[in-house]
Amino acid sequence: MRINSLKVWLHRGLLAAAGAALTFGSLPSGAQGAPTPPQQAPELAVGVCGTCHGVDGNSINPMFPRLAGQKAWYIEQQLKEFRAETRGDPYAVAYMWGMANDLSNATIVALAKYFSSQTPGPGTPHPAAVIDRGRNIYEHGIPSQGVPACAACHGPEALGSSQFPRLAGQHAEYIMKQLQSFQSNMRNVAIMHGVAQTLHTSQMRAVADYLESLP
Amino acid sequence: MRLTTRFQLAMAVVAAGVLLAPAAQAVPSFSRQTGMACAACHTVFPELTHFGRVFKANGYVLDNLQQVRAVSSTRQQLLSLSKTPTLSVMMQTSYSQLSKAKPDPAGGNAQNGTVEFPRQLSLFYAGRIAPHLGIFSQLTYDGKADHLSIDNTDVRFAKLAVLPGKNTLTYGLSLNNNPTVQDLWNTTPAWGYPFSHSNVAVSGTPIGPADVQIDEAFGQLVAGLTAYAFYDESLYVEFGGYRSFQPGAVAPLDSSDSSVLAGFSPYWRLAYEYDWNANALEVGTYGEDFHVYPGGGAPLTGPTSTYLDVAGDFQFQHVGEENIYTVAGTYIHENMHAMPAGAANPSDNLAVTKLWASYYYRRRYGGIIGWFNTSGSSDSGLYGFSCPVGSATQYCAAHALKSSVTNSPDSNGEIIEADYLPWLNVKLSAQYVIFNKFMGGNGNYDGYGRSASDNNVLQLMLWYAF
Repeated sequence: MRINSLKVWLHRGLLAAAGAALTFGSLPSGAQGAPTPPQQAPELAVGVCGTCHGVDGNSINPMFPRLAGQKAWYIEQQLKEFRAETRGDPYAVAYMWGMANDLSNATIVALAKYFSSQTPGPGTPHPAAVIDRGRNIYEHGIPSQGVPACAACHGPEALGSSQFPRLAGQHAEYIMKQLQSFQSNMRNVAIMHGVAQTLHTSQMRAVADYLESLP
Repeated sequence: MRLTTRFQLAMAVVAAGVLLAPAAQAVPSFSRQTGMACAACHTVFPELTHFGRVFKANGYVLDNLQQVRAVSSTRQQLLSLSKTPTLSVMMQTSYSQLSKAKPDPAGGNAQNGTVEFPRQLSLFYAGRIAPHLGIFSQLTYDGKADHLSIDNTDVRFAKLAVLPGKNTLTYGLSLNNNPTVQDLWNTTPAWGYPFSHSNVAVSGTPIGPADVQIDEAFGQLVAGLTAYAFYDESLYVEFGGYRSFQPGAVAPLDSSDSSVLAGFSPYWRLAYEYDWNANALEVGTYGEDFHVYPGGGAPLTGPTSTYLDVAGDFQFQHVGEENIYTVAGTYIHENMHAMPAGAANPSDNLAVTKLWASYYYRRRYGGIIGWFNTSGSSDSGLYGFSCPVGSATQYCAAHALKSSVTNSPDSNGEIIEADYLPWLNVKLSAQYVIFNKFMGGNGNYDGYGRSASDNNVLQLMLWYAF
């Protein structure tokens, strides 16, 4: 696991504020009205979220998305969707609905800031032919199928923006599952449903492998 | 009829352990507590995923239930108690059929085709007690024993530290009543394969009648305190000791009690897990040194039988969304100096090997195939049988079922199991245990004409928890 210890310590204060509202029992959640002691706050993200997503947001298991460097607004939005039980892809239902159902807004903000400020790991190499095919789809889309260029929204280096999430370095397996969930509308996002509607599995795989290879 | 006293003594611990240590379970109360589905912690219950291991190491305390709280004027937390009790219920119902019915001591055969309703019914309180303190506790009604008793219990205190730099260290204490019940991997005996077995199996255990002490022999007959550290969710080190506890016995223990441990039996565990992508590979070692008073009226100051169990284990898991498979195994070697408990030889050895592989598709359809082998020194005192002169042959045959005409403990065979889980907490299974060798032989292993394959057993089971 990679984590920048300085950042962990810097975020203690931030997470301390969040801790007061959090009810994860394993964590040193303060009594109501009593802020969590700052020295205990890093346990929040590390001890709960980090178990699956990695203490620095660089998860190992592709079932769990990498959060390091993800846009804070996006993490906030997703946590709120989990809490509201409106994001319906299978792992969201099984894991995150329960995990997020008691999070306060302040906690969500703190967690989003923590993970968004972690340093993403290096990309994962894939064969050049697959990368080229994926890059081509990412940068130019597939006009014959009505698939627009991913880069138009997610940025030329897939770093995301104030309106679209970061994709660079994400687990290919996770991206595959999301594209399939958009396609089937289990994860109901109108714009991505439109984009993914005509994608074939091999095309999804190429884009996913390309994105996983990006730093 | 007289089943040899030596054999009785040697097997008493095993029998007690088997009766009092029913199959392992997974508990929905953890789901209630965390808000996460069973799939977070289990591939298919009771096998744990990496997340399940971390949840256990951290003391079962991960929680998002509302709390009843108390706080001091210095803001010290005095109470943090879940408003909802983390309870659950588990039930097993089974039908078992032996390849050949057991002989009845009075003549003919016992009925073949046994229904158990319930095979086992358990009530769990499993979850967080206080910050950093959690429990897995189980009260079980066992259909065969027809009584309610304390079953597997594991009380844990755990803390998590983030080390300067990047790594995590989980450390804590476990107070438990069954060596290996506190372990994180499903390779060690308490939560190991096979996860269930037929109560009517001739051997009384899932494998042969002869078994090593650490394989459940002292389950619920001890209290143990162990300290552990789990570094970076990879390197696991644990050390502790177990002391005898006998439910129903008058305290303090004395010469009227059997299978009493001398002092504390030291227990150790060392394991390393490497995780990559959706895979986890573990290799490890564990063991315990048992010094057991022979009982039967002998004072608890005399000589002891000693059993040194040293084991190795491994587990490979792939936990994908659609395909889940595991390959695992353990090898347990036991050095015995079992003279007071009835061995004919000054020292013996016994080794148990279990290997298994499971596959599940979408956690719904799947199965397990396994292989087991028990081998060790021949010892007439431990494994032989002599029928009292004048006893009817039928009577002797019925009592020689677990004995060896060659005084050998050797057994081996395969276990095949098919599972269907309509829901994550409901399992329908069909399990067939095949014995190629049973107590040293294939045909006529007991001297009364019974073959190893006669002890093959089919078990159909409905297993659910809620």
